[in-house]
Amino acid sequence: MNRVLGIGHNVNQVSVKRLLVISVALVAACKFPTPAEQMDSLQSWLATAGMVGDAWLRHTTPDKYSRQTLELSHETLLQLSSDLLRSPPHSVDSATLDDVLTRSREHVARMARLIEAKDAPDFARQLDSLRVDEKVVKRLSDRIRSTP
Amino acid sequence: MKKMLYITLGIITSVGGFLEIGSVTTAAQGGAAFGYQLLWAILLGTICLIFLVEMSGRLSAVSKHTIVEATRERFGFPFFFIVLVGMVLISFLVLVAELGGIGLSLQILTGIGFPWWAIPVSFVVWLLMWKGTFTLIENGASLLGLVTLSFVVAAVRLHPDWGNTAHGLLPSFPGDQKARYWFLAVSILGASISPYLMYFYSSGVIEDDWDESYIPINRFISTFGMSLGGFLSMAVLVVAALVFQPKGINIEKFEQASLLMTTALPKWGFFLFAMSMLFACLGAALEISLAIAYFFAQGFGWNWSEDLAPSRDARFSFTYTIIIMFAAVPLLFGVDPIRVTIMSMALTSATLPLAIVPFLFLMNDPIYLGEHRNGWVSNTVVAIIVLISFVLAVISIPLEIIGG
Repeated sequence: MNRVLGIGHNVNQVSVKRLLVISVALVAACKFPTPAEQMDSLQSWLATAGMVGDAWLRHTTPDKYSRQTLELSHETLLQLSSDLLRSPPHSVDSATLDDVLTRSREHVARMARLIEAKDAPDFARQLDSLRVDEKVVKRLSDRIRSTP
Repeated sequence: MKKMLYITLGIITSVGGFLEIGSVTTAAQGGAAFGYQLLWAILLGTICLIFLVEMSGRLSAVSKHTIVEATRERFGFPFFFIVLVGMVLISFLVLVAELGGIGLSLQILTGIGFPWWAIPVSFVVWLLMWKGTFTLIENGASLLGLVTLSFVVAAVRLHPDWGNTAHGLLPSFPGDQKARYWFLAVSILGASISPYLMYFYSSGVIEDDWDESYIPINRFISTFGMSLGGFLSMAVLVVAALVFQPKGINIEKFEQASLLMTTALPKWGFFLFAMSMLFACLGAALEISLAIAYFFAQGFGWNWSEDLAPSRDARFSFTYTIIIMFAAVPLLFGVDPIRVTIMSMALTSATLPLAIVPFLFLMNDPIYLGEHRNGWVSNTVVAIIVLISFVLAVISIPLEIIGG
């Protein structure tokens, strides 16, 4: 009887271990956002930087808030980009993606610095370039989304 | 004449005190991510809140008991203790979020990070509690909170499509991001149906010495005040849907939400948002601190009244002092108030049955309410909405956590 119970115990242990492994794998698989979701986040923060830029040019937000929010956007974009490029999606050229994301981050970082210098004309130029890159990111994002 | 004044003031303060960081954040996130699709959740939450607030006032006016006193008396200490632990934990998280909301409002206005504001803000909240009276806390912050009406002005100025807006009042299923949709629905419901409001309102009825003659006033204030308050939440969602959704902005940080009104009200929008959040969170932080102290004092039979000098209800005053002090700690360490807000709102939905089920038993007990017991409509509406919130919370919270 004890032996039977012992075997049962072993079987239970194996099942529990297997279940745990499967659960951990499932959770790990779910925890990482898909490339499409990562691109959504990138777009969201690029749009945030654009909106802050517009607001600052119209003098509707304080300098400190605008600068800090652009810095926050830059930090978040950096984090999101490195996460995405660690395992880049197959449907787009990773060099193109890296290039446009690096350029966008540079525009955002420069905009934050230009607020301190109160250089509105150069700020507006950076904002225009950011808008162009935002459109490229959107196109890439659409391509990733449409690829199964 | 005095009662007319009560009604007017009651409705004004309900409107001014309705919004807080939870309702604004969840409505803004809902609008940004799903357009008008989640308006139904605000409608459902507001309907439930109208019933619950009306019941809380009726129970206290008729029985001369607060909800906490009646719960302990009717169900005994062991059961009361479970409710106490659950409600205090959730209310504490909401208090952290509200203090954080004040800090974040000051951060966007001054550029000084919110952790630096944790101690000064907590001190001001504590000082207002220590020195203030119930009337000051109930009316003062809520009157300042009337600045939140600017969300309605912003919504109207953006010319929403009213047909689509009305369509959002009917529940619908999302195309994608299902887990996120239901999690946000649950958070919106949790933000609308905050149990601390019931405890605060019922204690206020005793503080203001209402009796049965105030039942019609109570009904009027809860119906109109909460409806107009719910309308404010809807305005936040509508503005977010019109401003953020077309740009693809998802609200993850307070800094993003701060841009909510800059399109509709370019000159003042940013400052109106900051002031709205500042006063709304201040009012809510005072009410929650008071609600937690009421909970302990009424449950353990201590002296309690915000109108008494602290020396005459020392344990009551000590409770809110400790609670406010502890609530500042996570903020000092930089815990993101928006994350705390979203999680606490969803957990509020999950724990609603703990607060509402015993309350419904009380509302049907002839010993406490006599002829003023609940009718079947009140029981059914509240039971169904609480059940929906609970089921959605139990399903969507794990999905959202797993989904990161």
